[in-house]
Amino acid sequence: MRKYLLKRVFYMVLTLFLVATITFFLMKLMPGTPYSNQEKMTPQQIQIMNEQYGLNKPIWLQYLIYLGGMLHGDLGTSFQYSNQPVSYLISSRIGASAQLGLQAMIFGVVIGIIIGSFAAINRNTWIDTLCTILSIIGKSVPNFVLAVLLQFYIALKLGWFPIADWGGFSYTVLPTIALGVGPLAETARFIRTGMVDVLNSDYIELARAKGLTKFGIVYHHALRNSLIPLVTLIGPYTVALMTGSMVIENIFSIPGIGEQFVKSITTNDYPTIMGVTMLFSAGLVVVILLTDIVYGIIDPRIRLSGNGD
Amino acid sequence: MKINKFAKLGTVVALSSVFLVACGSKSSSTASKQVLNWNESAELPTMDLSTATDVVSFDTLNNTNEGLYRLGKDSKIEPGIATKTQVSNDGMKYTFTLRKNSKWSNGQKVTAKDFVYSWQRTVNPKTSSQYAYLFSGIANADDIMNGKKAVSTLGIKAEGNYKLVVTLDKKLPYFKLLMGFPVFFPQNEKAVKEYGSKYGTASKYMVYNGPFELTKWTGSNLSWTLKKNSDYWDKKNVKLSAINFKVNKSTTTSYNLYQSGKLDETNLSAEQAKQLSNSKQLVTRKGASTFYLQYNQTKKEYQNANIRKAISLVIDRKQFVNKVLGDGSTVAKGLASTGLAKLNGTDFADAASVKSAVATNRAEAKKLWAKGLKELGVTSLDIQLLSDDTDKAKDSTAFVQSQIEENLSGAKVSVSNVPFKTRLARSVSGDFGIVISGWGADFSDPISFLDLFTSDNSQNNGKWKNTEYDKLIEASKTTDAANTTKRWNDLVKAQKILLNDQGISPLYQQATATLVKSKVKGVIYNAAGVNYNFKDTYIAK
Repeated sequence: MRKYLLKRVFYMVLTLFLVATITFFLMKLMPGTPYSNQEKMTPQQIQIMNEQYGLNKPIWLQYLIYLGGMLHGDLGTSFQYSNQPVSYLISSRIGASAQLGLQAMIFGVVIGIIIGSFAAINRNTWIDTLCTILSIIGKSVPNFVLAVLLQFYIALKLGWFPIADWGGFSYTVLPTIALGVGPLAETARFIRTGMVDVLNSDYIELARAKGLTKFGIVYHHALRNSLIPLVTLIGPYTVALMTGSMVIENIFSIPGIGEQFVKSITTNDYPTIMGVTMLFSAGLVVVILLTDIVYGIIDPRIRLSGNGD
Repeated sequence: MKINKFAKLGTVVALSSVFLVACGSKSSSTASKQVLNWNESAELPTMDLSTATDVVSFDTLNNTNEGLYRLGKDSKIEPGIATKTQVSNDGMKYTFTLRKNSKWSNGQKVTAKDFVYSWQRTVNPKTSSQYAYLFSGIANADDIMNGKKAVSTLGIKAEGNYKLVVTLDKKLPYFKLLMGFPVFFPQNEKAVKEYGSKYGTASKYMVYNGPFELTKWTGSNLSWTLKKNSDYWDKKNVKLSAINFKVNKSTTTSYNLYQSGKLDETNLSAEQAKQLSNSKQLVTRKGASTFYLQYNQTKKEYQNANIRKAISLVIDRKQFVNKVLGDGSTVAKGLASTGLAKLNGTDFADAASVKSAVATNRAEAKKLWAKGLKELGVTSLDIQLLSDDTDKAKDSTAFVQSQIEENLSGAKVSVSNVPFKTRLARSVSGDFGIVISGWGADFSDPISFLDLFTSDNSQNNGKWKNTEYDKLIEASKTTDAANTTKRWNDLVKAQKILLNDQGISPLYQQATATLVKSKVKGVIYNAAGVNYNFKDTYIAK
């Protein structure tokens, strides 16, 4: 197991290095400068600014300097937010995004499992059809449409929750629902399909013959086996949600990281682009590793390494 | 102009309130709670006035700090830290006497040295100020910015604590207007040194000398509060006790918050503005930016004036601003925006307008087009139309494309909508046929627009050239600089030359539709430079 983990960690570091390298050079191919008032600056002024920021150095040298800084934990200073260290911009904003993403994921997966199981147990009845219709709607209605509707009817008209902003738990309810409906629908669909297969298998027949309760069969035997395809999905999904959903964050005015990333690209804010890309990539490689470990826990048949260490 | 009406109303109410107070009915028109809840559509990136580049930063700086002057309604110069200004006969030397009762929030007095320090800091190439170019004209500024002279040679000297002398190396007829722009405000050296790299990155790492103090800003959050500055020299005329700013990037959200009473102001999308066009709370803020077609005159086809005129004449600009944009934007009268500058009651935009330059006349266009094609010896023309990839820019290119293709036979328009930075890069390198671009004024003077199209201006991407135009602009800065009327006439003539020749084809003047609660009075909005001044704002009953 240790040998396996070491090997995996080595590949993770290699992946991150490749991501950093490719992103850096691709980013430098984008036209323009990181200066927001570029339009009004003369070429000489831009030249002087480039010298100040070291942007006139050869790209390979800039790359080495950046890499050196990153190894020392220095992600550089943002251009959009002058003097603001990128590490501060990320750390002050990632909290809200992570909380929202995690809540949405938990909400979506838990409710999705319940709905999916319910549909599978009652397959081919009106309950199943209803659950299927609900999950199709959940999957096909874009989350920003749902967000706007929730905001208008639940927050403005009924006044049950705040319209926007970020404060206590009540502020998180509507964005969580809006963001969680996608994973909810996806989970419900996966669980239903998986469970219908499992419920038809011989060992479930056996469990029934043994006289186990319906709940016991579903919970202990059917659910566990239908979770495997879902785990593959949940990992990357969680990272995507936690690192920010720009649209939902904008609609509910949440101080998250989603828009910062998009804005950093359109404004050529090089250090921020790199910082957020590295954060996202690191999150992803860690989650992929965790997913593989979780596989083994859910299903011992999936071995992490050949020797079963 | 709606903004004027609104501001006038504000003034009338303000005056009547003064009158009523004088009559002894004290609490007649102002509400007991003087708190304003204002919407922002973007974050506050910095409070360092030397490195600020965006509207939110400049607006916040303008309300929390103060320079020699403040800009009031219609960019009128109002007293700030300068109590007296002496200008030498040749217009090259300004001597300011400063007030002694202006204080920083760290307790220090605002002195002439703070101005010297601030200006030197901004023009120092090491500071990397993106607005330092505005200092061009102040003695030695250009050389300092290019690293050829020491910052100490800048034409600004403190004579004692309360006398400031500024020397110029060319006349700047708009010099006083510049003094209302935050880049020219003073900075407290002690604070800059003490906070070091953190200076201006959060409300606690900054000092203030203006009507309000910034609080609750962490450097990256979406809300902050301006609190009345109890040490401000003119605090008795500041009525608001606090202004709460909230960043809402979605206009749907801010409109919902506005309706629920959580906000007193909101921006509107074009769609919302169309729906609310009859609302009494609708206030259209005219910007000092004009959008136009710029032709690449290094290419033979666009050197042909008939081709340029034909293209301009087929565009129905009224239909464009009303049906396509619908956000309160108006048909541009010329290059310099309406409401920017006035002389004897006449707006520059009217004085320098050329009706045929923004008119629609398709019969004439077809004739000119045919003539142009003949001169070029071709029967068809491929036009590469470039602009940004925002919704508005896409609507603009689609509209212009259809107007040209429908009306000019043999014209084939290929459109590229690219991100802003790419558009800029392609404009600079001349990789376009026609580009729809915009220009915003930094200060309320037509020269802020007209300078752009002189032959040697490096930002004149279309490379339109006209010697007469260059001469007039030069005269406005030299021989006629001190004579307001002559200078005005030079600029009027110059813009007319540009328009008659269709060096550019103006499209529209940008505006933003907003809703403002009717109880909010005395908001000063200026299109050029800094937008909002809340010093005189109050909440009526």
